[in-house]
Amino acid sequence: MENSVTVIGGGPAGLVAAIQAKQSGAERVTIIEREEELGGILKQCIHNGFGLKLFKEDLTGPEYAERLIDEVNALGIEYMLDTMALHITGDKEVLATNKKLGLISIKSHSIVLAMGCRERPRGNLIIGGTRPAGIFTAGTAQRLINIEGYLPGKRVVILGSGDIGLIMARRLTLEGAEVLGVYEIMDHPGGLTRNIVQCLNDFSIPLYLKHTITEIHGNDRVEGVAIAEVDASLEPVKGTERFLPCDTLLLSVGLIPENELSKAFGVEISDLTKGPFVDETMETNIPNVYSCGNVSVVFDLADYVAETAMIAGKYASDLVDKPSENTVRIIGGENIGVFYPQRYSGRGDLVLFLRSKKWIENSATIVVEPLDMNFRVPYARPNEMTRIKIPLDKLKGISGDLRVSIKEV
Amino acid sequence: MNDSNLSREIRSEIKHTIGEDVDVSLNDAIATLKGYVSTYEHVVEAGFTAAKFHRVFEVVNDLDYPGKTPFVPLPEQSDELQGMHFDVVIGGAGVVGGAIARALSRYNLRVALLEARDDVGTMQTGHCNGLIHPALPTKYGTLKWEMGYKGNEMYTKLSEELGFELKRIGTLVLTETLREAILSPVVIPMARRHRDPTPILLSRKELDKLEPGLAPNIRRGILLRNTGVVSPFEVTVALVENAIENGVSLFLGTSVIGLFIEDGAIRGVRTTRGTLSTGLFINVSGLYSDIIAGFANDRFFTIHPRLGETLIFDKLYQPVNNFIGASSLKTNDNPHSKGGGLIPTIDGNLQAGPTAVEVPDREDVSVSGDSVKMLIERINEGLSMIKPQEPPIDKSKIITYFAGCRAPTYKEDFIIEPSKKVKGLIHIAGIQSPGLTAAPAIAERVVEIIRDSYKIEEKESFNPYRRKVKVVRSMDNAERREFVKEHPLYGHIICRCEEVSEGDIVDILHGPIDIRTIDSVKRRLRAGMGRCQGGFCLTRVMEIISREKGIPFEEVRKNGPGSFIVKEKTKEGYEALYHH
Ligand SMILES: Cc1cc2nc3c(=O)[nH]c(=O)nc-3n(C[C@H](O)[C@H](O)[C@H](O)COP(=O)(O)OP(=O)(O)OC[C@H]3O[C@@H](n4cnc5c(N)ncnc54)[C@H](O)[C@@H]3O)c2cc1C
Ligand SMILES: Cc1cc2nc3c(=O)[nH]c(=O)nc-3n(C[C@H](O)[C@H](O)[C@H](O)COP(=O)(O)OP(=O)(O)OC[C@H]3O[C@@H](n4cnc5c(N)ncnc54)[C@H](O)[C@@H]3O)c2cc1C
Repeated sequence: MENSVTVIGGGPAGLVAAIQAKQSGAERVTIIEREEELGGILKQCIHNGFGLKLFKEDLTGPEYAERLIDEVNALGIEYMLDTMALHITGDKEVLATNKKLGLISIKSHSIVLAMGCRERPRGNLIIGGTRPAGIFTAGTAQRLINIEGYLPGKRVVILGSGDIGLIMARRLTLEGAEVLGVYEIMDHPGGLTRNIVQCLNDFSIPLYLKHTITEIHGNDRVEGVAIAEVDASLEPVKGTERFLPCDTLLLSVGLIPENELSKAFGVEISDLTKGPFVDETMETNIPNVYSCGNVSVVFDLADYVAETAMIAGKYASDLVDKPSENTVRIIGGENIGVFYPQRYSGRGDLVLFLRSKKWIENSATIVVEPLDMNFRVPYARPNEMTRIKIPLDKLKGISGDLRVSIKEV
Repeated sequence: MNDSNLSREIRSEIKHTIGEDVDVSLNDAIATLKGYVSTYEHVVEAGFTAAKFHRVFEVVNDLDYPGKTPFVPLPEQSDELQGMHFDVVIGGAGVVGGAIARALSRYNLRVALLEARDDVGTMQTGHCNGLIHPALPTKYGTLKWEMGYKGNEMYTKLSEELGFELKRIGTLVLTETLREAILSPVVIPMARRHRDPTPILLSRKELDKLEPGLAPNIRRGILLRNTGVVSPFEVTVALVENAIENGVSLFLGTSVIGLFIEDGAIRGVRTTRGTLSTGLFINVSGLYSDIIAGFANDRFFTIHPRLGETLIFDKLYQPVNNFIGASSLKTNDNPHSKGGGLIPTIDGNLQAGPTAVEVPDREDVSVSGDSVKMLIERINEGLSMIKPQEPPIDKSKIITYFAGCRAPTYKEDFIIEPSKKVKGLIHIAGIQSPGLTAAPAIAERVVEIIRDSYKIEEKESFNPYRRKVKVVRSMDNAERREFVKEHPLYGHIICRCEEVSEGDIVDILHGPIDIRTIDSVKRRLRAGMGRCQGGFCLTRVMEIISREKGIPFEEVRKNGPGSFIVKEKTKEGYEALYHH
């Protein structure tokens, strides 16, 4: 199978990559998706706010997914649902399993990794106490309500102010549960400002910054949590603890790209993004293996995910290997929290995604050295990704590292 | 010294240690403490003080303290089991109850195994660290020691018959001081006396091969080769399944709430599901063994729960190649509770713990933030002494933690004996660490006790081998390809982190033990125990349990009676919301 692309994951990243690969001339494109439907996380995001950039419309998650799925069908892209990709072997054979076909191997010219991310569980956070029923990651609660149709609890405390937690605060309130508060250990919220306003403020749900949960009570089901303020080193301040009776604890403490498959296959993973190192074509260290969307770095907007997927899909379909002229590193300078991609190979435009380390509320400038280019942005915040695009011609003949930084103005 | 002198002496010794007055009475070498003291710590200290006297065989500690809650047995909830007859009834399905059930299933006896909870092996057994301890560190001459060394030996055959995994990992004990190094050869004759022929002495050169990077002051080591690890839960399930295959009846969700005694002999066992008739009852209820003894008016010991908290690290965190004995990597100070250090699990993750904290509540399973910090500090302290180049651990390596109580008596030894007061009653109590190790030997001892007074015969049909359970995770590709072709459900992966298929789950739901909770599935297959801790598969496992067991989705539980996962259907329901 020469001109073929296998896409692992059927979320927006996988769907867009597959569409793009097909449109760019790939003969056979196959999507492997472990869930019973395509769409990834979008399926359970029944709120709107999707597609403002890609479709120039305000869509819900399922609507956004539906548009992509329609296109996948129109283009005759193959997909296997309820199918789990288990391993990738050295010669790019994807081993997968499902009920109908059992264990299957798919060999192709290119592979696009689009497995998205998973939520961080409670383990990494040290909350003392017991382990009763009633502790959920926000995404599991979201699935219970939106897909299964069941309410996980009636009196809910949310730990962490990630977007999913914020959205669930609103969803639970609409379903008749009482959300007692969102507790965030940092001094700034983790989710988008838009979500703070629309999901908390509009429903009078309090947000407590610099607070954490120190203990969980209850033997069978959660009966309450102990809450405390934290000091500058994020340690609970003695004497500020108080007990809050509740029946449910939701954790919204971050997402981790799902890269077990990639790691086992030998894809190099960045400590910063927890996703594969890629260049501007989204190619990983393994030739013809691409990575896009949340499996690369946690995005907050599906549209950005789609953009990385378009790039990956386009290059994945390209049969002629265009060896890079001269790959340079991209380096995070002043105020850079996270940046992506990490390399530039001289093959195309460079779309760079950044998160600021600091909260810069007045305007800031993004500087890419040694290029003579400055990008003015109204603000730079850790919870909102910033995107800049540097055209190929500006990058011609570049030899040393590219250093990107955010300067306060 | 007569009894009244001794009780006076105990009384004054207690006054001396806790500064409070208590009543002490002695009867057949059993010291009973009564009165009121100001804290639970004082209750425990008084108990230990009384137990220090050699002539005291056991301590019944009835001291009151502020906040003491009396034990209230559950009410009878149904009479489904009313009138059923068994030759032997075993009360409690931890690893010891399971081992006894399996040992008795060899004989022509009608045996019932009763378990209060929804699954076997969830109390002490479920919170245990899984070490098959070597004999050397246990005090010579105690019952703990005797059962421990015998049990350790029996594990090899048991694991072959029952098909559970046993790894003989060995314990490496390191000498830190010159004195220790000089004295170290003494362990060889000492071990022989302890009936453990396996320890070997290692030179620094040999140590360097086994464990590179040790601190320069470590001159010698001792390898206790017969230390093993198992999954305590898997062992219990294997024992109970094999017992059921050989005719034992298991009743889950069935609490013993009384004993029916006539003419000084057991006639029946009262349970929450009706009274069973029997002439022989075995009390192996762990943390509740003193309460059950009380049902027969034969309470001659008190269980004082001792909490052990354990942290589990990510598989990738492996600062040591060997299991380094507790003297070097210490996590608990209690002389009676074995274990401590970085203990490997059968799956290869390291555990830190367990702690040893006296607590009033037998059901305590809470982990305190302070203990987590303390465990990490201790491990780092130990590591810096034995492997100074290793970077210290931090919290981010912890994937989960758990806690559970041990069930010691104040004398801190095992009790395995027929009741002196009631015929047909056998007490198995105080089975704390190394109780997992000792379980098969305890079961043999029980068979001997029964054989002393009853005629029992081995039956021909006994099959020591348990039905093999295959999981897709452990198959190679060729085998899996064939298997999945015939059994499509095994092609559908439900838990992605641990690669558990729908077929695996359906299979265990219809196994010999009638399980129906999320935790029961999780403990058997690790579904939900991996990196995402069930974030992905929880709702899917709920659906399968609901379908296979005919339980409504909202009634699927995590474990105990009140541990429902969801509260109610949403207002609008899924159809209206999603398919608009
Ligand atoms: C609660 C929430 C709210 C959000 N709100 C907004 C919003 O309002 N606006 C917005 O623009 N963006 C929003 N986002 C962000 C956006 O939805 C995500 O960034 C985007 O869905 C990520 O796409 P993805 O394809 O990379 O990952 P996913 O959508 O997670 O898709 C990955 C897919 O890969 C599959 N997969 C993984 N591993 C395997 C394997 N081994 N075999 C087979 N299949 C596999 C998974 O099942 C999944 O379907 C939100 C995200 C969340 C979680
Ligand atoms: C933290 C910790 C770590 C340990 N580590 C090790 C180790 O590494 N190696 C080792 O050898 N040992 C270890 N131990 C000790 C070992 O776990 C125990 O000795 C062993 O599990 C005891 O088994 P059991 O069957 O007697 O008790 P349990 O497992 O407690 O079983 C008793 C059962 O009786 C049931 N029951 C109670 N009351 C009733 C009733 N009224 N009616 C019906 N059923 C009832 C309970 O529900 C329970 O299932 C450890 C213990 C702890 C707590």
